[in-house]
Amino acid sequence: MFIAIRDLGFARGRFFLMGLVVALIAFLTTLLSGLSAGLIKNNISGLMQLPVTHIAFEYDDEPTYRGTMVDRAMWEGWARKSRGRAQEPLGHTVFNARGADDDPLELTLWGVRPGSFTEPKVTAGAQLGEPANGVIVSKILADKGVKIGDTITLDRVLTEFQVIGITEEANIGHIPIVYAMLPRWQEATYGPPGGMPPGEAFPDVVYDFASVIALQIDDSVDEATIKAIDDELGTSTLEKVDRAYRASTGYLEEVRSVGMIQYSLILIAAVVIGAFFSIWTIQRTQEIGLVKALGATNGYLLRDSLGQALLILVTGTLIGLGAGLWIGQFIMKTGRPFMYVPGTVATAIIALLVAGLIGGALAVRRITAVDPMIALGRDR
Amino acid sequence: MSLAAQDLTLLLGDGDQQVRALDGISISVAPGELLAVVGPSGSGKTSLLAVCGGLRTPTSGSVRIGDAEITALSPARLTDVRRERVGFVFQQSNLIPALTAVDQLLLMVHMRGRRPGSADRERAMGLLHEVGMEHRHDRRPSQLSGGERQRVGIARALMSTPALLLVDEPTSMLDHSRGRQIVELLLRECHEHKVATLMVTHDAGMLDVADRVVHMSDGRLAA
Repeated sequence: MFIAIRDLGFARGRFFLMGLVVALIAFLTTLLSGLSAGLIKNNISGLMQLPVTHIAFEYDDEPTYRGTMVDRAMWEGWARKSRGRAQEPLGHTVFNARGADDDPLELTLWGVRPGSFTEPKVTAGAQLGEPANGVIVSKILADKGVKIGDTITLDRVLTEFQVIGITEEANIGHIPIVYAMLPRWQEATYGPPGGMPPGEAFPDVVYDFASVIALQIDDSVDEATIKAIDDELGTSTLEKVDRAYRASTGYLEEVRSVGMIQYSLILIAAVVIGAFFSIWTIQRTQEIGLVKALGATNGYLLRDSLGQALLILVTGTLIGLGAGLWIGQFIMKTGRPFMYVPGTVATAIIALLVAGLIGGALAVRRITAVDPMIALGRDR
Repeated sequence: MSLAAQDLTLLLGDGDQQVRALDGISISVAPGELLAVVGPSGSGKTSLLAVCGGLRTPTSGSVRIGDAEITALSPARLTDVRRERVGFVFQQSNLIPALTAVDQLLLMVHMRGRRPGSADRERAMGLLHEVGMEHRHDRRPSQLSGGERQRVGIARALMSTPALLLVDEPTSMLDHSRGRQIVELLLRECHEHKVATLMVTHDAGMLDVADRVVHMSDGRLAA
């Protein structure tokens, strides 16, 4: 990079502007990765925490948590077929509710069996068990003022729950989760509004339904086996990451729209770098011809120019990344859905670098076409 | 002989547009000899330079530089020949804008795949001293006058110890007295470094400086 390095100093204004553009694109890319991961966490943190490999829905081409109902035959069938692998019925219903002081709350009621792997660990208070209508609430609700000992009343069905524990941030479809014992969920979801008349018990059939089956399937089980069990039981089993995530309201749309902006940015980076180095190379045609006449090979000149493009790209990107990570800290403190996952940020940044380098490579390729004869100033 | 060109023919263009730029030219230049080729524009001087320097492959005939036959080489090999055996002095200011005078010379070392060291730097400064540019070694082309650029160009051409020095219209952008100084400098360097030098010019006022002069018109040597 004998010439390239000296060019950087010689035309420092132009290269500074180019580096700045790259840095701004990298900055935006970094922030978008934070937004993307933040939105995902805000949507499905409850699912992400669930220690499962798969989730079985009622048979559907595109299952959703709101639209699925599985019965006892299905989860007992999965228990039988799974030969020791763990499975748990799980109830999922979105309710409007009232907290203490009649505060309106939107919540997702999850019915889980106490002590099973679907029950979250509390960070304060007690696990499920006693009293029978005790619930564990997501930290999100606790942040909104729900306390241990509060009563939560579901609208319309008027079931009353008592908050006994608080667990970490757990959302699904951006709505905080309240964990109740499975039978209480079944009664609230399938029982009559206001509960059974005094003295009467819920009919047994209420207890034969849930929404999905949470599954821990061994790595050794192949797709075909799962498909065969699905066909037999009438279920649709999806891998947790990320097929089962997509069943959550809004997940796919959010991931896609943020992804689209990111792809556009990466494309813009490739075009901008390509355009800059095209113009730069055209501007240097005379010089390139001269150096070729002096005996420089195409390889020598390409290495020189690509090294220059790479240097601008890497420097600009690192500055943009650094600025993005720094600003991101402040955004995270505001409580907005924003989170840096090293893998997600790294993937976006590497994609940006690769795209920029491709743009640069296509641009400097024209070096090979320059005729050293132009050094003699005439075309003869 | 450091340059021996036999029976060179160069056809340019196609069909009706075809031009016989070189028409059976033979020339030779000995080490330490400055041969001036003079002729009007369009006489084929530049084509002769291009063919002798490996920038163009002749339609027929042969070119030898030192002990190497270069006529039938591929473009990549011709690039190697230019780098290793030929020094070019182009008309006006064919220097690289971003490089200081001494870096113009060190680039020749770098192009050969070597990181320039202190010995290379010493040699470059020595050559700049010979052409009277040592005190301006850290200036870029834009900070140099036309004559100064031409001096740096001469030093650069000598940096790779060429067997053949090819000089293209060295005085075209200079007034008469500066042009004459440049040609005299060329002659001195040619003799001192024992390098065969072929200079093309349309400036008849410089011919008394050359060791030998040939005239060219319509792609042929005139008597």
